[in-house]
This record gives sequence, C-alpha cells and structure tokens, in this order.
Amino acid sequence: MESLAETEWDVVISGTGLQQSLLALALSRSGKNILHVDANSYYGGNEAAFSLQEVDEWAATTENVEVTKAEGGLSFPRAYSIALAPQIIHAKSELLSQLVSSKAFRQIEFLAVGSFYIYEPDHVSLNRIPSTREDVFTNTSIPAKLKRSLMKFLKFVLDYDAPPHRETWAPHADLPLRMFLAQEFKLDERLQADIITLTLSLDGNITVKDGLRSIHQHMSSMGLFGAGFAAVVPKWGGLSEVAQVGCRALAVGGAVYMLGTGIKSARASEQRVDVSLSNDIDVKTRFLVKETDVDASTMSLVRLTAVVHSDLASLFDVTVEGAPSPVVAVVAFPAGYVRTPEGTASEVPIHAMVHSSETGECPKGQCVIYLSTMPQSNAKSLLENALSSFLRAVGEAQVPEVLYRLSYTQHQRVSHPSDSNVVTLPTLPLDLAFDDAALASVKAAWETCTADDDGENEYMVFEDREGADNDDYE
Amino acid sequence: MEDGSLRSYGLVLSKIKTTDQLFRHGHGIARATRPRTEEQRQADIDKIARYRTLEDDIRNRVSRQDYDHDTFGLTSKLLRQNPEYYTVWNIRRQCLTSGSSSKPWAMSSLSKGSSTFSVTGTSHRASASSSPPFSTETPPSHDSPTTGTSGTTAEATEDRQMRDLEIIKSELVFTVPLLMEFPKCYWIWNYRLWTLGQAIVRLPTHVARKVWDEELGLVGKMLHRDRRNFHAWGYRRYVVDQLESAALAGQSMTESEFEYTTKMIRMDLSNFSAWHYRSQLIPQLLRERGADDQARQKFLDDELALIRDGLNVGPEDQSLWFYHQFLASNIIDDACSQTIAPALSLDQRRSYIEREIDEMKDLLEDYTDVKWIYEALIQYTQSLGRLGQQARPTELNGWLAQLKSLDPQRTGRWNDLEAQLHAA
Repeated sequence: MESLAETEWDVVISGTGLQQSLLALALSRSGKNILHVDANSYYGGNEAAFSLQEVDEWAATTENVEVTKAEGGLSFPRAYSIALAPQIIHAKSELLSQLVSSKAFRQIEFLAVGSFYIYEPDHVSLNRIPSTREDVFTNTSIPAKLKRSLMKFLKFVLDYDAPPHRETWAPHADLPLRMFLAQEFKLDERLQADIITLTLSLDGNITVKDGLRSIHQHMSSMGLFGAGFAAVVPKWGGLSEVAQVGCRALAVGGAVYMLGTGIKSARASEQRVDVSLSNDIDVKTRFLVKETDVDASTMSLVRLTAVVHSDLASLFDVTVEGAPSPVVAVVAFPAGYVRTPEGTASEVPIHAMVHSSETGECPKGQCVIYLSTMPQSNAKSLLENALSSFLRAVGEAQVPEVLYRLSYTQHQRVSHPSDSNVVTLPTLPLDLAFDDAALASVKAAWETCTADDDGENEYMVFEDREGADNDDYE
Repeated sequence: MEDGSLRSYGLVLSKIKTTDQLFRHGHGIARATRPRTEEQRQADIDKIARYRTLEDDIRNRVSRQDYDHDTFGLTSKLLRQNPEYYTVWNIRRQCLTSGSSSKPWAMSSLSKGSSTFSVTGTSHRASASSSPPFSTETPPSHDSPTTGTSGTTAEATEDRQMRDLEIIKSELVFTVPLLMEFPKCYWIWNYRLWTLGQAIVRLPTHVARKVWDEELGLVGKMLHRDRRNFHAWGYRRYVVDQLESAALAGQSMTESEFEYTTKMIRMDLSNFSAWHYRSQLIPQLLRERGADDQARQKFLDDELALIRDGLNVGPEDQSLWFYHQFLASNIIDDACSQTIAPALSLDQRRSYIEREIDEMKDLLEDYTDVKWIYEALIQYTQSLGRLGQQARPTELNGWLAQLKSLDPQRTGRWNDLEAQLHAA
C-alpha cells in the first residue's frame, strides 16, 4: 500500500467546514484519489456542533470565547450538541435540491422550523408574525384595512419578478424595503417590522431587491414539504450534520480522512501542488482546495448561546392542523427594542433562534437559544438583555433559569481568486438562513477539480449506492 | 401523534411539488406519461401474463368451492395489483366468512347465540337511513362446538371475539396501503365499510367503538393529505353517523364536528367542503345547544364576522362567497326550521344586509378587480329590494359596468341582470 507521500493525489482538501464537505460530497463518486484533512480534531470547522466538553476545549484554544455554567442543572456534556453557526434552510433552497439529487438527504433527519415572532417591548410579549393568508386570517391584532394591505403585498411578492410587478419595484431596487412597504403598500411600522423580520435581515436595512427575493423564498417555501412550515433544520446540530454526511460520502468513495492535521505550507507549480502537512508529511496533489487565509473580516456576528431550563412549549405550538411539531422558533428584536442597563438602545436588530430539545442539541426539558447581532457598542450587554427580555416575554409561570452561556464572535472572510490548481474557499456567509449563493464557490471548486475529466457528470446528481434505504421515505 | 420528525410524517423530499398557498388554481396534480422502451414493453407483457395466471388460479379454486387459506392469500396478491376487481373482494369475503372453528384464520361462525355479547343487547346494524351498501352474511345454522355450560361459553365467546378483532384489524391494515395508492377506488372503501360493519356485529360495543374511532382518525389524515377528496368527506359523514348511532352506544358529535370544520378552515380558507359541512351542521348545532333567539342572533353575528374576515383576506375565493351567501340567505329568505335566527324582524334583516353591503364597499377600497365583490353587491341590493328597501345605491350602474368589464364572457348574463334591475 502506498504511503501518503507516495500517492499521486488528485485533490487535497483542507478543512471540513460546510463548503469543503459539500465539495467532498460532490466528488464522492468521482473515483479520484482524495486526501481530506482538517487541522481540528473534529468535523465541521466553523459550522461544527460541540458537546459541552468540546466547547471547553475549543474555548481554551480560541480567543474571545467565554463559557459560564450555572451551579447545577446541566446534564452530562455529551447530551448537548451546540451548533456554532446555526442556520435554517428554506424548503425551496438549492442546498436541499442538491442534497436530494445526490441522495445524501437519506442520512439527514430534517425537522420543521415553526413560527417567527417579534418581541413587543410595551407588553413584554412575543407577537407571532403572519406569513400566509391563513395566518393573516386568524390574527386578531391587525385591523381589517391593514390586513388587506398586507394581503396585497403578499400576493405581490409571490409574483414579484414578473411584469407588471417588476416594473413597480425595479426603480427602487436599492432603496430600503421599509420605505417601499410604507409608500407602495401603506403598511404601518408594525407590519414593516414583521416583513423585515421575515427577511431575516441582519442589519434591518435590507434593500427592496434583496428583501423581496428573501420573502419570495420564504413564501414559496411555505407548505412545500408539508403544511405549516417554510424551513427545516437538520437534527443533531444543523449544518454540522450536513458536513458529516458529505465527508462520510467521500470516505465511502475511497478518500483518506485525517483530522488533527493541517497544512503548513503549499507550493503550486504548473501541474501540481506540493503540500506540506502539519505532521511533517509532504504530499503531491493535482489540486488543493483550502479555506481562505485572508486575515481581515468583511463582517462579524456577535453571538450568545444559552441553555435554559425549560422546554418553552408555547413557542413550538403546531399552528396548522396535522402539521409536524416545529423544533425551531425565530424571535426578532428590531433595532431600539433592547436596551443596556444604562439605557442605550440597540442600533441593529438582535435575533434569537430558539431550538427545542427535539433538535437533539440538548436534553428534554431544556432549550438552546442562539442569540446574535451585528457588532455594535455594548453588543454583549445587549445580547444578555435580549435574552432576559425574551425569557420574561415567553410567558412561563416562572422565568426559566439559564444553565449555560457561551459567547463568541464569528467572522466572515472572503477569498482571493483561485489559481489554476489551488482553490480557496471563502468562509460560509454569516446568515440566519442558508444563502444558496454560498454554493457557487463549491461548484466552481468542483469544476476546477474535474476540469481534466471527460465532463460527462452532472453536478451533485447520483444514484443510491447499493443497500441504501429506499423504504423510509414513502 | 407528531414526533416532529419529518421522516415519520411521510415526507418525500424527492417529490418536491410547488404549492401556491395564496392562489389555488386547480388541484395541481401532475399526471406523468412515459413512452415505453422495448424492454419495458416486454416487462409489461410478462406482468400481464403473471396476472392472468393468478386470476385463473383464483377462478379455478372458486369453481371448486375452495375458499381456503391459500385462496385467501391469492386474493391479497391480486387485489394489491388491481383493487378495482370487485369480484375478488367478494371472494375474499367468502374466504373469511365461510368459516368454522376449524379455520382459525377466518372469522368465527356467527351462531344464534352471538347476540348475547353485545352491550346494547342486539346485533343490529346502523339505522336503515345510513346502512352501508353491503349485505351481512347469515349466520350458519350449526352451533359453535364450544357452546355448552355457561363457563366455557363465556371464554369461548371471548376467544372468538379476540380472533374476530384480530382479523378485522388485519383486514383494515390490508386496505390502508391500497387506499393510499388508490384513494378514490370505491371497492376498497366498500370492503373497509364491510369490515367495520363486522366490528359492530361481532364485537362488544366498546371494542367496536374503538375501531370506529380509529377510522375517524384515518379519515382525518386522508383529509389532511387531500382536502378536496370529496369521497373522504362523505365517508367522514358516514363514520360520524355510525359513531353517533345506538349500535355503537353513541352520542351526538355535532359540536366536535363543528370544531373540526373550524380547524380545517384555519388550515386552508379555500376548503369548500369544510365550509359546506359547517353549514350543514349549524341547524342541528343550534338545536342541540337549545339556543334561544338571543343566542341564535349572536351565533349569526359571529359567523358573519368570521366570513367577513375571510373575505377580507381572500376575496378571490369562491368558497368564501358561497358561505357568505348561505348566511345571507338565512337573513333574506323567509324563516323556516333551518333558519339560524328566525326571530329577526324585517327591520333587523334589512339592516343586516345594509351592513354587509357597506362591508363589501370597504373591500372595494383595496380590491378593485375582484368580480365577486361587484356581483355580491348587486345581488344584495336586489335582496334589499325584496325586503322592502326600494332605494337604489347610486353606485349600482358603476358596479354593473365593472362586472361587465371584469367578466366579459358573461356579458349576456350581466345584460339580463341590468334589465332586471331596471324593470323592478
């Protein structure tokens, strides 16, 4: 058997984040010699999911990560699977189509994302955001005339990219959606906030073009896989599951996997790349795919992840008869709705993605709350405040106890254009909902790595491997 | 029921179909046709040959009066391929009921003593008005060999019932995948009804009730999957009738069925069947509640508020207009036994209709091209005339003009309407 150094590798992939793992999936039937390494001792990179133990280890070696644990109440560490980059995936997303066409979906359990809420500071409560006609119908707090305006907008969005609607918004494409909603549809501030929340805009200032596209995706995703939900999350840790499935697929396809191994250096020449691994082994490969090494971040997200001692059952109500029980609730705190103890108001929205124990991320009777906000002064204090406001607003008999806190900041980095045989992938965009635009770089990497092939293969389209379970899904 | 997992929910990600939640045009059911290759054609020929052999085998057995367990198994095979073959369903029934205690896999023979195990004291079926379209077998003339002293009879009866229950359950289970695949095949429903009927005849009431309760659950699931399956709605009605009947020691389910229509409407406003069912339940509902005039009027007010809310968000939806018409006719037409609030005075009735006209004019503020609104406005203006209000709204001609321009295909009808209005 050839050693690593002797093997003529076709591709060396560095890092097992979502994008590299999707590339792994894409290459899993290619029969190529692939070596997939990751400097971490775990899969998933920035999208990994950790047990509490793994969080501690990660915190010890990473800057600006803080962990606080309550005195008691936490279950054993492996009962938790804390996602570092939780994202919901819309039903009508290219990612899901690829997971289906590649048959990888069979190994992932998808759970439904439920209601979206806005925090209402005057009554310290949560208002459910209507996103379907039936939602608007059953809502008792919107006056009849505004309901009509809202319905007109929802109908507009469903067909927004076709004439005549396109002519209506195209001139305002780069203006704030908020203004467009007020002028064109006479929506009041409350409904504007509802719509902006549906876009999951991080800064609350989404443009007309991006906002309409986002809401269109939300609405056309609603009901696609079943009544009552527009998005899904993979069980057991979100995107990390997808990453694991991708890597597993490539492993089955014959690749060699090495965790705890990074790339020390790489030297590209015309037809190959000489890669020096951190374990002092040198390998030769036709192509190298790695994560970006750009230092500067183009965007950041300040995060507070909390585990609370309650199942927060009221948030996960089934709102449509016969629909599956949702496991995620989205809560938005529009700018200005949260204050620091000194009274400074938030400048940008804060979002909380609430995950029930059904996600497999924590034991029964507890929930994981993923709070995030764009950098602003007092971000950490504001996140803490949002958390306590939320816990009061949720309306339980006793305010749930916080058992665990993890705070850190995520950074988004672009990549430099790739060379002919070294491909650099940007970090996954920091988003609350998966953005299909992230898939483009994966496909580009695949095209590079398969440039020498006969070009017959469709991207991410595979047959089931023998022995794959066909029966579960009818 | 829900464990949250979409896998157990029967989700097939690969069968992605787009549903338009706001506009439901048609049922969106795609029918696939594929041209056959030579291989496929040969495979089909083989399949037909195997089927024919199976059918011949069954027919031979029947002509030999051979209704044994093997024959029973063959009917399973054939029916899975072709549930429309009703003769084979009959053969299956024969296999199960031409039994004696020597055929443990078939149902027990119904002896004359069978009536003693039913709590209601009789083995009669549901009342004639809702009798299912099948015939029960007549009990065979010989007694069960275990009838004897009272002690052994009770045990034997229980054993028989257990066995019958198992067979009934397994027959119900047999039909389920067939129903999923052929949800509109009458013969499957027929057979299921016969099986359920057997539960009433053969099992203690509380056991039979449970079987029928589960049936209601199944109908609920089918209606969730396809709200437009009118077979399922009719079937639901039948199941509810049985559950309410004396044969199953039942009570009225009007309130819970009314609540069910509310749930279905909240799930999908366009659900014509749910609205229709709701309208059918109302007279009975009000009777059962012992509603006095005040309660009846409040009920009417609440229903009007509900449908107005619906029209407010879905004026393009004909189902909603039909229900609105149903409520309006309760006000406009002369009172009868079915009227919701028969004690309304003429003045009150006029003011109700006037209010509805006002509400519809509000809708016009935002929905300018929905023809139903104009049609309703004109229709209720005419109704007001019948209630003695002769004054015509000034907008009437404008509404007519809009109707003609929005629905030019029916110009003839709108012209007739115009003539009517001017003649009056």
